[in-house]
Amino acid sequence: MVAGADHIDYQAPVDRMQHARRLHVWLLLLLVAVSLASLTYGATGVTLWGTLAKLWAGEELTRTEAVVLFDIRLPRLFLGICVGAALAVSGAVMQGLFRNPLADPGIVGISAGAGFGAIVAIVLGALLPVWISDLVGNQLIPLAAFFGGWGTTLILYRVSTRRGRTSVATMLLAGIALAALAAAFSGVLIYMADDQQLRDLTFWALGSLAGSSWTKFVAAAPIIVTALIASFFLGRGLNGLALGEATAAHIGISVQRMKNLAILCVAAATGAAVAVSGGIGFIGIVVPHLLRLASGPDHRTLLINSALLGASLLLAADVIGRAIISPAELPIGIVTAIIGAPVFLWILLRRRGIVDM
Amino acid sequence: MLSAENVKVTIGSTQILHGLDFSAQHSAVTAIVGPNGSGKTTLLKALTGDIEASGTYRLNGCDPAQLKPWELAAMRGVLPQASVLAFPFTVVEVVRIGLRSGTSGDHAQVVMAALAKVGLASYANRFYQELSGGEQQRVQLARVLAQVWHPVERGEPRWLFLDEPVASLDIAHQLEVMNIARDFATAGGGVVAVMHDLNLTAMFADSVAILSQGRLLQQGPPAKVMTNETLSLAYGCTLQVNTEPSETDARFLLPHAASLNDIVPAKSA
Amino acid sequence: MKWLRACRSKSLALPNAVLTSFWVAAVAIFVATGSNGRAENPHADVLAIGGTVTEIIYALGQEHRLVARDTTSTYPPEAQALPDIGYMRALSPEGVLSVEPELIISEEGAGPPEAIDVLKEAKIAFVTVPDEYTADGIVEKIRRVGDALAVPEKADALAADVRKSLEAAKSSARAAAVEPKRVMFILSTQSGRIMSAGEDTSAEAIIRMSGGVNAVTGFQGFKPLIDEAVTAAAPDVILMMDRGGSHGAQNDELFAMPALRTTPAADSEAVVRIDGLLLLGFGPRTAQAVSELSAALYGG
Repeated sequence: MVAGADHIDYQAPVDRMQHARRLHVWLLLLLVAVSLASLTYGATGVTLWGTLAKLWAGEELTRTEAVVLFDIRLPRLFLGICVGAALAVSGAVMQGLFRNPLADPGIVGISAGAGFGAIVAIVLGALLPVWISDLVGNQLIPLAAFFGGWGTTLILYRVSTRRGRTSVATMLLAGIALAALAAAFSGVLIYMADDQQLRDLTFWALGSLAGSSWTKFVAAAPIIVTALIASFFLGRGLNGLALGEATAAHIGISVQRMKNLAILCVAAATGAAVAVSGGIGFIGIVVPHLLRLASGPDHRTLLINSALLGASLLLAADVIGRAIISPAELPIGIVTAIIGAPVFLWILLRRRGIVDM
Repeated sequence: MLSAENVKVTIGSTQILHGLDFSAQHSAVTAIVGPNGSGKTTLLKALTGDIEASGTYRLNGCDPAQLKPWELAAMRGVLPQASVLAFPFTVVEVVRIGLRSGTSGDHAQVVMAALAKVGLASYANRFYQELSGGEQQRVQLARVLAQVWHPVERGEPRWLFLDEPVASLDIAHQLEVMNIARDFATAGGGVVAVMHDLNLTAMFADSVAILSQGRLLQQGPPAKVMTNETLSLAYGCTLQVNTEPSETDARFLLPHAASLNDIVPAKSA
Repeated sequence: MKWLRACRSKSLALPNAVLTSFWVAAVAIFVATGSNGRAENPHADVLAIGGTVTEIIYALGQEHRLVARDTTSTYPPEAQALPDIGYMRALSPEGVLSVEPELIISEEGAGPPEAIDVLKEAKIAFVTVPDEYTADGIVEKIRRVGDALAVPEKADALAADVRKSLEAAKSSARAAAVEPKRVMFILSTQSGRIMSAGEDTSAEAIIRMSGGVNAVTGFQGFKPLIDEAVTAAAPDVILMMDRGGSHGAQNDELFAMPALRTTPAADSEAVVRIDGLLLLGFGPRTAQAVSELSAALYGG
C-alpha cells in the first residue's frame, strides 16, 4: 500500500538479550578467574594452590599462611566484589533513572555527602564523647560516610519530591547544589585539619581496599547485597523510563514506586561502598557503558552484567594496585582512574558521530 | 465505552479545561480537533492519566485511577506527540519495551507483525536514534500496537490514544497510519486521536469532538458537526467545507483565501 | 607500664648483675602479662616504621636485624636499600607480612587500624614508640627501641650519649641567643597557602631548643595561616624542610608571596632549610639539628 513496503524484506531480529544472557556466564567465569588471582597473588609468597595442597594433604597451615589467606585476602576479596558490584550497579541505575549515560552517584552528591561524613569523622572524631568512640571503635569513619551519603539522599529526595512525584531534573540540579555545599563544608573542615588528618583524608579520598576486614565486610555486605538484589527488579522499569516518564507509566510501570526503589538502592549501595573503601571512581560510568556497547542497553540484563563486570574490574584493579609497588600498595582509586579515564575517552572517540550514546 | 464528564484541568493558576463532557465508542475512531491552545492535548492527557483532572471518567466501566498501572496498560496504549529515547536501543527492542515480559509465548511474532504493520519490518535491527523523525514516530506506533495487539481481549475493547499520530509523516504514511487506526476500530477496539489535519479527520473519524478555548463546541459524526459555522467559530477564520462528489459524501476542506476582515472572532457559548 | 619504667630508672645505679637479673625479670613479666609484644628472640627480624625508629636501630648497631622499613625511613642512606613497605599511615597488611618480620617497631600513628589488627592477629610482636618532643622523650624512644631489641645496655649508653650532647647543644644555643629570634616554620606553601606550625608541635620544640621563639602562636598543630596572620607574626627567620633543588629560586618564589614580603625575614632573606627528618625527627641526631639551627640563626 505504501511505496517501499510492498517489497517487505523481513529482517530477522537480532536478539541482544540472548547475547547478554550468554555474557552473564562469561562474566561470571571472569569474576571467578579474577577472584582466584586475587586470592593467590600477594606480596607474601602464600599461594592459594600451595595452601589448598597443604590442606588436602592434611597438613596444618602456618600462622602466616592462615592470616594472609583468611584475614587479609578473603575479606578483601569479598569486600572487593561487594564494592565493585555496588558501584557499577549504582552507576547503571542512576544512568537509567536520569536517562543519561554520564550520570553517576557522584553527580547527585551522594558520594560528596559520604565524603563529607568521612571528613567530619576524621577531623572532628576526637571531639566525640569517649563512650561513642568506644562503641563504634574503628568503624567511626565508615559509619559517618554511610550516614553522610544517606542523609544527602534524603535531603535530595525531599527537595525534589512534590505531591508524591519526584522530578528527576530537580534532583539533578539539587544534587549539584548539595555536592557543592558538602564540598564547601568539607573545605572548612580541611582548613581546620592538621597535617596527619590531611594525609588520612587524602588516602581516604583516593579509595582503597587496604583496610578490609571481616568486621567491615559483615557491616557492608548485607546492605549492599540487599540493595543489589532489589535493583535487579528495576530492569523493566528503567527500560520503560528510557522512553520518558509518561510512556513508562503508559506501558504499566508504577513510575513513582520505581523511582523510590531506585533511589533507595543507590543510596544504600553507594553509601555502604564508599564507607568501606573511600572514593573509587570510574567503575560506575565505565562498566555500564562497556556493557551497553557489548550487549545493548536492556536493563534487565545490564544490571546483572554490571554487577559481575564491576566486581571483576575492581578486583583486577586491586591486584594491579598491590603488584605495582609491592610490598607497598597503590590506592585502588588511582588505578581505576588511570585505567578508567583513557578507556572512557577511547570509547567516546570511537563512538563519536555513530550513535549519540 | 469511554465517558468523561465535567473534565476540569487547572495548571498553575490557569484553567485549561472548563468542565467539558466527552465520550467515545469502541469500534469507532473518535477525533479531537480544535485550534492551537484549545485544550486538545490536555484533554487527551487527562484521559490517559498524564495530568491531574477532576470530573467523572470511566473506561470500559472502570475508573482508571483505581486500576493498577499494569491493568490499565493492558487496556489501552498511548502514542505521545513526541517521543524521546535514552540509550541505543534497536527498533525491535523499542517495540518490545511496551510488552510485559513472560505473559505469552508469541511476543516475537507480535513485535514483528506490529513492525510489519507500520512498514518497518526491515528496520528491526537498526538503531532507533539513527532513524528519521517520521520513522521514529512509526516505530512508536508499532510499540503501542504491540502493547494492545488484539483490539478486543476477553470481550472487552482495548483503546488506542493517539496524540497527533500523523504530525511528522509524509502523505503516504499519513494514510497508512490512519488506516491502521481504522483497522483497529473495525476489529472492535476504540481509537481516540488528537488531530490537526481536518481532511484526514473527515476521512477517517466516526466521531469528531471540536474544542475551543477549553470547552467542547460540538461532538458528533463529521457530516453533522464539521460545518462552515462550527469550524469557523472554532478556528477563528472563515472555512469552506466541501462535499466529495461521490456516494461516500466525505467532507473536505480547501484552504480558503480569507481576508483579514473575514476573520470571525471565536466566541464560545 | 609506668611503674616498670620508674623501677628501671632507679635500677640504673645498681651493679651490672642486679641490672641484668632485673631485666630478665622485667622481660618475663612482660611476656607473662602479654601487655606488650616484646621480642623474645634477640635475632628477630625487625621491621622499622618511622624514620626516627630506623635511625635509632642503626645507632644501636642493630641494623643487621632490619628486614624492611617504611617510606619515611630515609636516614642513614643505607637504610634506603631496604624494601619499602609504604607510608606508615596507609600500611598494607600483606605487604608488611611479605617481608616476614618477627618484630615491628613503629612510631606512634601507624595505621590504618584494620591493618594493625590483622598484624596482631598474625601474632607479630608490635611495639609502639611514643613521640615526644623533649630530651626525655628522645631518651624514652631509644630505651623503648633498645628494650624491644633486647639490647638495653646499648640503649642506655646511647640514651646517655644523646642526652649529654643534646644538653650541650641546647646550652650553647641558649648562650648564642642573646636576642631570641622569631622563627616561623613553614611546612608548605601549596597553592599560595602558608601551612605553618603552631603550639605543641615538633617544629616549635626544635625552635625553642635552638634558642628561638615560635613566631606563630594561638593555635595547636600545623595549620594554614591567613596572609595577615603571617604579616602579624613578623618572623625574623623562615624555617623550612630541605627538599633539594635551587634554594635561590625557591627563596624568590617564597618572598614573592604578598604575605611574606613585608616580614623582617624577607628584608634579610633569612631562610633556613634543614632536612625534615633531622629537624623534626627527635631522635639521635637532634643535637646536630639544634646546633645547625642555632648556627643558622645566630651565626656559628
